[in-house]
Parts: sequence; C-alpha cells; structure tokens
Amino acid sequence: MKPIENVPDRKLLLFKSCMVSQEYPGIESATGYAFDRLGVDYFVNEEQSCCTGIGHYTDLFEGLTTAAIAARNFAVARRCGYPNITCLCSTCYAVNKEACELLNTNAEVREKVNSIFREQGMDDLVYEKGDMDPRSNFYHAVEVLLSKVDLIRENKQLDFSGVKAAAHHACHYYKVKYQDVVGNPENPQLIDDIAAACGADMVRWYEDRTLTCGMGFSQLHLNRNTSLQVTKAKLDSLKNAGVELMLHMCPNCHIQYDRYQPVIEKEFGVEYDTVHMNIGQFVALALGADPYEVCGFQTHSVPLEGFLERIGAL
Amino acid sequence: MMLIHVNKYDTPECETLAETAKKSIRTPDSLGLDRCIQCGACTASCPAARFTDYSPRQLVKRVLENDRSVLEDESIWSCFYCYSCNLRCPRNNSPVTIVQVLRQMAINEGIGLERLAYFVEIGEYLAENGASKIPGPGVRNMERDLGESWIEFKRDLESIRAELGLKPRDIRDTGSEVRAILEGTGFFEREKWIRAGGRGNVSALSHSASPETVNRETASHETPQCGV
Ligand code: SF4
Ligand code: SF4
Repeated sequence: MKPIENVPDRKLLLFKSCMVSQEYPGIESATGYAFDRLGVDYFVNEEQSCCTGIGHYTDLFEGLTTAAIAARNFAVARRCGYPNITCLCSTCYAVNKEACELLNTNAEVREKVNSIFREQGMDDLVYEKGDMDPRSNFYHAVEVLLSKVDLIRENKQLDFSGVKAAAHHACHYYKVKYQDVVGNPENPQLIDDIAAACGADMVRWYEDRTLTCGMGFSQLHLNRNTSLQVTKAKLDSLKNAGVELMLHMCPNCHIQYDRYQPVIEKEFGVEYDTVHMNIGQFVALALGADPYEVCGFQTHSVPLEGFLERIGAL
Repeated sequence: MMLIHVNKYDTPECETLAETAKKSIRTPDSLGLDRCIQCGACTASCPAARFTDYSPRQLVKRVLENDRSVLEDESIWSCFYCYSCNLRCPRNNSPVTIVQVLRQMAINEGIGLERLAYFVEIGEYLAENGASKIPGPGVRNMERDLGESWIEFKRDLESIRAELGLKPRDIRDTGSEVRAILEGTGFFEREKWIRAGGRGNVSALSHSASPETVNRETASHETPQCGV
C-alpha cells in the first residue's frame, strides 16, 4: 500500500496527457488551478512527449519503443528538477511506472535503450539503473489532491451537500500495480474521500463499481457494441443507485462516460440523468474556479448547466 | 517472413508459448503462469467474458498446453486490457499481460494487422508532434457517433485552450528525439509491415476488422470534417 503521507507536494512534473489535451483540456487547467491554491509545487514541461499508452495498448508499439520513450521522459523530468511524475491519465501513470520498473530490473533492455540513445547522439538521455524509483517517483494527480484534503475542506467556496455522487476509479491506476495504491485496491476510495470533504453525499459502493469503463483501447473502435454494453452496465447501475454526479480520474473513462452516454441513450433507448466530471475539475469548482474559464465544461457532451445552476456555481 | 526481429523483447523465441510469455517484457517477472489453478476468478471478473465468448481462464489453459492455434483465435482480440484479472488472480498470474504477448506473437505472423492498420498513423504523429491522437478512422467514427456538437468542439479546440490559459496546440517541443527513438527501436520497419498487411499481402487491409465494424471506418481514407 502507498501511504498517503508519502505523496509529495514538491517537484511534481504535471505530466501532459494527449487525451486530456485533445478532449478535455479543462482537466489540466482545473488541476493546475487546484494545485496553485493548495500550495503544490509543480511544473509543466513542453519537452515531455506522450507516454505512447494509446499505441502501446492498441498493440501498435512494442514494449521496447514504450520503454525508450519513457526513459526519455524520465530524463526530461530529472533535467528540469521536477522528477515526481504526476499524471492526469491513469494509463500514463501505469505505463511510466511499469517502464521504470523494467528499466531498473532488466539490464538487457536498459542497455538496448541506452545504445539507441548513444547511436542517435542523445547521450544525455541515457538511463542508469535507479535513476527513477517506480514507487516514489510516480503519482496520479488524485493522490496529490487527497493528500491536501484538509486544506480543500477548509478552503472550499462551494458546498456539494445534497449532491448524490459516486466515483469511478480508473483501472490502470489500481489494477496494474495493485500493491502500490492508496487504500485497498478492491475498494479504492480516493475520489470518494475528496468529494465527501466538499460535502457530497457519496454512494461509496454500487453494483459493478470496479467494472472497467468499457473503452478498452481498441475495443471502442473495433468491438464497439461490446464496448458500449460494458459502459451501459455501469451507467445503469449508477441510475439504480440514484447517482446524479459521477466523478472520474482518467480522460479515457471520461470520453466513454461523457461522450458516449448520449449515444447509449439513443442506441439502447434508455435515459440517464447523470452528469460527469474529473475529480480535478470538481476540486477546482469547490475552490471557486470558473466552470468555463478554468474547468472547461464547454468541452463536455453531457451538459452540466442544470447541475451547476442547482449547486449555485452559475 | 516474420517480424520477430523488431519484436524480440515482447516475443522472445522459446520452445513453448508459456516460456515466451514468461520471458516477454510485457509480463511481470513474478508471473504465476505455472501456478494457475484454473479457478476462473479471472473470467468471473472479466468484462469481455460477460458480454462475449471470451475466457481468460481458457486462454491461460491453452497457453499451458502449448496450443499454438490460440494465436489464430479471434477471441484474443476481445480483451479490454482492464487488468481486472491481474488484480484478482489468487496465484499472481496475469492473463491480461499474457494476452498482450499472444497478440504480439500473432502480429509477428501477420495476423491481426488489419486491426493495427486502424491505429497505425499514431506512430508518425508521435514522431512528428510528440503526442498521440485518436487516429483518422477513429475520428471519423466518432464524428458519426457524436455528431455536430463534437465536430464543432474539435474545430474550436484552439480557442478553448487559449481561454483556459493553455498553450495553443498539443504539440510538444521534443526536437527530433522522439523520431530518432522510433527509428532506433525499429518501429518504422514494423509500421511498413503493418501498412503492407504483412507477408507483402496488401489486400489484407481491405478486409473489415470484425463483423461489428461493417459500415464503419477500418483504415485511413477521407479527411475528418473536424480537421484533426
Ligand atoms: S484467476 Fe489466476 S489462477 Fe484462477 S484461472 Fe485465472 S489465471 Fe488461473
Ligand atoms: S484485462 Fe482482459 S482478460 Fe483481464 S479481465 Fe480485463 S478484459 Fe478480461
């Protein structure tokens, strides 16, 4: 288990995610807004590339490419003095953490990656065993927010009392490196604890709570019906539990729930009242951020206006 | 011809499927493949098993029996990579990472390349821009699914990013380093192999990827309306 006391608030490289950037950029701006108000020392580095996760898990990239790209990003993080890689996307988190473990434990792969760097004249990228620690250099932004939960409670400007909410914790946060999760990986409660501190009435367990979002990398694209059936199972269960606000922590889950909820409604002849938000957007909102200029809710597919009006954010 | 030279870390050549799975860098060193007790906890947790005929327990059994026909089984392409089986297995086995190895072994033999063709442009985009994207066929399918409001949002992405105080485009300042890495690892050879449909069989690209993709984009043809 990862003790919450060990989550740092200094030297965090806020790791840019391509799906956040292209689909829900408000997740990045809102998390930055929250970090600023919570006294978190972080940096966004434009030299950092994407983690390759989308290509890796659609089987396009082989493991060596993924490890080499990760090693380059580790060099970028160390070089700028912000070695604590903090992800907005659960897949960036898992890919980086796994690549670090591989580079530390597999000398053959490490040597191969370094020989590629040397051959290409990029000696400054060379990775030495132990340059990064898979357990202490990799975080998800939700862990940092949870470590500041008391400050969030003290400084909240908006109270979510009376809002029935539930969480979807991202699979690649708690099922890949399941021994290194804050709390119990069979029942992660990070999002619930943060939202409860803002007054939300959390449904802490519901049927299919640990079911995946259904995106499944290639599945949404190549096995679309199955993908949407999985998503529907989850949305049905939230509906049965009377949940009006669903909180998540990964842009891929966010696409699946927010973009595809209206598609599922149309194709399966169902109706849902649930609205969707990333936990970073939720915390920013609680701390007084503008729903559009900071949280970027105008990029969402399920309209949030009715909900925001009711809680007094509009 | 096989593609194994580019992919030897994912699919090290061994006597048996089980040995390849254990030595692959896709699976953890601690992989409990030999310790599998066929309890079915993986299948019980599996979203693909819930809605299709797929069974991670069965796949593990076939790997242990060294049944190489598993590489041609369509069902290996049904996994969501959700890692629920990885979390739940009581024997520290990891069907999800074994399936990743099986898919890579299939790819080496030219199987499933039409699926990869759907995503293949991610490689060049990453080399050029340092970021990934939803590939062209995916964008066009999403345009069909999500309609005008999404297309409009994608057209307005730049101005929304500016409003949020973010840099104009999700293009990173990676110099030519990312391209050099993809060259060094042999990715571009793999890309050519995928685009050519393996074994020089380019016509494989025109087959639809699965029954579900009928009437849906399977590879790059037209430009998306939203311009991404
Ligand atoms: S859960 Fe583990 S031990 Fe049980 S059948 Fe699946 S792989 Fe084997
Ligand atoms: S990772 Fe694949 S095999 Fe494992 S539970 Fe998820 S869909 Fe099933």
